[in-house]
Amino acid sequence: MSDDPDKVWPTGLTLREAEEVHSYLIDGTRVFGVIALLAHILVAVSTPWLG
Amino acid sequence: MFDYRQYALRKIATLGPQYFPFADIATGDVPLSRLLRLSLFQVTVGMALVLLVGTLNRVMIVELDVPAILVAGMLALPLLFAPLRVLIGFKSDAHVSALGWRRVPYIWKGTLYQFGGFAIMPFALLVLSGYAEAIDAPRWIGLSSAALSFLLVGAGLHMVQTVGLALASDLVPEEDQPKVVGLMYVMLLAGMTVSALIYGRLLENYTPGRLIQVIQGTAVLTVALNLFALWKQEARSREVAARMMVTPKQRFADAWDALIMRPNATRLLVVIGLGTFGYGMADVLLEPYGAQALGFSVAETTRLTALLATGTLLGFGYASRALVKGGDPARLALVGALIGIPGFTAIILSGFMVGAPLFLVGTLATGLGAGLFGHATLTETLRMSPKNQVGLALGAWGAVQATCAGIGVALGGAIRDLIVGLSATDGLPSHMPYNFVFTIEIVALTLAVVIAFPLGVRARCRHHAKGRLRHPSNPDQTSVEVT
Repeated sequence: MSDDPDKVWPTGLTLREAEEVHSYLIDGTRVFGVIALLAHILVAVSTPWLG
Repeated sequence: MFDYRQYALRKIATLGPQYFPFADIATGDVPLSRLLRLSLFQVTVGMALVLLVGTLNRVMIVELDVPAILVAGMLALPLLFAPLRVLIGFKSDAHVSALGWRRVPYIWKGTLYQFGGFAIMPFALLVLSGYAEAIDAPRWIGLSSAALSFLLVGAGLHMVQTVGLALASDLVPEEDQPKVVGLMYVMLLAGMTVSALIYGRLLENYTPGRLIQVIQGTAVLTVALNLFALWKQEARSREVAARMMVTPKQRFADAWDALIMRPNATRLLVVIGLGTFGYGMADVLLEPYGAQALGFSVAETTRLTALLATGTLLGFGYASRALVKGGDPARLALVGALIGIPGFTAIILSGFMVGAPLFLVGTLATGLGAGLFGHATLTETLRMSPKNQVGLALGAWGAVQATCAGIGVALGGAIRDLIVGLSATDGLPSHMPYNFVFTIEIVALTLAVVIAFPLGVRARCRHHAKGRLRHPSNPDQTSVEVT
């Protein structure tokens, strides 16, 4: 398993495959982050907190 | 102790499939349970559609006091994305992935957008309506954020439906595709009907808090259902991935030309547009027509919608059976559009004579026609599309279908309101505005039938030829193929 230089341990995915799975995670996090930020701004506009 | 629960579940499980029109879908590697699970994405699409067109339409106007013209504009925004379905379908066909995936990445992205839109939508609507401190906020904040949320939901919904249907048609062999199409339509209808009932119940006593709960609950449910639907559906394949790497990149214009240059491709799209437009216009008008022209009570008009849905279900069921047996989708689409013409005629006539019974028969007929037409045109689209262009072909289907249905619904309501406004001063009978819209529908369906006619006839010839070619010694086979 770990002697194949192209495979990423321990999943057995190749480097490209692992990078693609990772890219979905990163993209998802970015979108969720922006959405959460927007939602907080909108809530703050209608019912302000901290001041 | 005797486990009643287990016993009942096992009984239902053994009993169910034989009364189910899609049970024999279970080909070797794709069992029915997996297809049912996949079809959940249609439920989320149905939820989103009902929330936008039905529930929020009312909540924004009645409870939030947003001007009606602004509401109509906001709700039309998701429609702007419908033509982009073609592009989404093409991109998923040509997607290059190390995992060998073509559909999953797009369904996932679509789900994210749908979730994102729903997540900010309630706050955007509250700001838009000037709730609490938002009354002092600049107007553009509410407007732009509400527009953004509707755009996100629309984009996500179109992505999920287009690519989801492509995935479903990838999974099953061609002869089983009519059953999958039927299943997908039934799930969309079920999702819309059930969620309309639930939303109606939940928002009966409106509070801002309840609005936030309902819309954000929809967001969470959308992600959950779509993830569950998607789980382990598309195989990870290194061979496919390797092939994707070496396939030369095709330009969108070339792929589109290849798709549209096939014989009758444009004709089919025009027929789909006209038919969907014709049937779509009636959707929102049957209930008020029943109430105003025939004096139905609220409970009776609700049952009217149930009758329409029953007709549509019958249409899906019949189309699934007939197409699996070898019937031709183009001819069935012709029949579907044809049934609507006497259907709408009966509805118009019911205002002058006989009354309710004739109206109910007409409603059932239009439901049946819409079901047959929807199922048959989608199946024909799948049959006609080359194997490597399924996404693009479904994108074209969806773009035409969603755009025309949306325009039909909007135009039907607008024309009615216009004539109601006119007739209030002139003292015209209450069924006049509706009859005008129903007449437009008859015209659209007649046009669809005329344009679809060569398709149906050609299909007949093709089938005769095929039957004779394949079984030269067996004349019976020909007649079997035609039915």
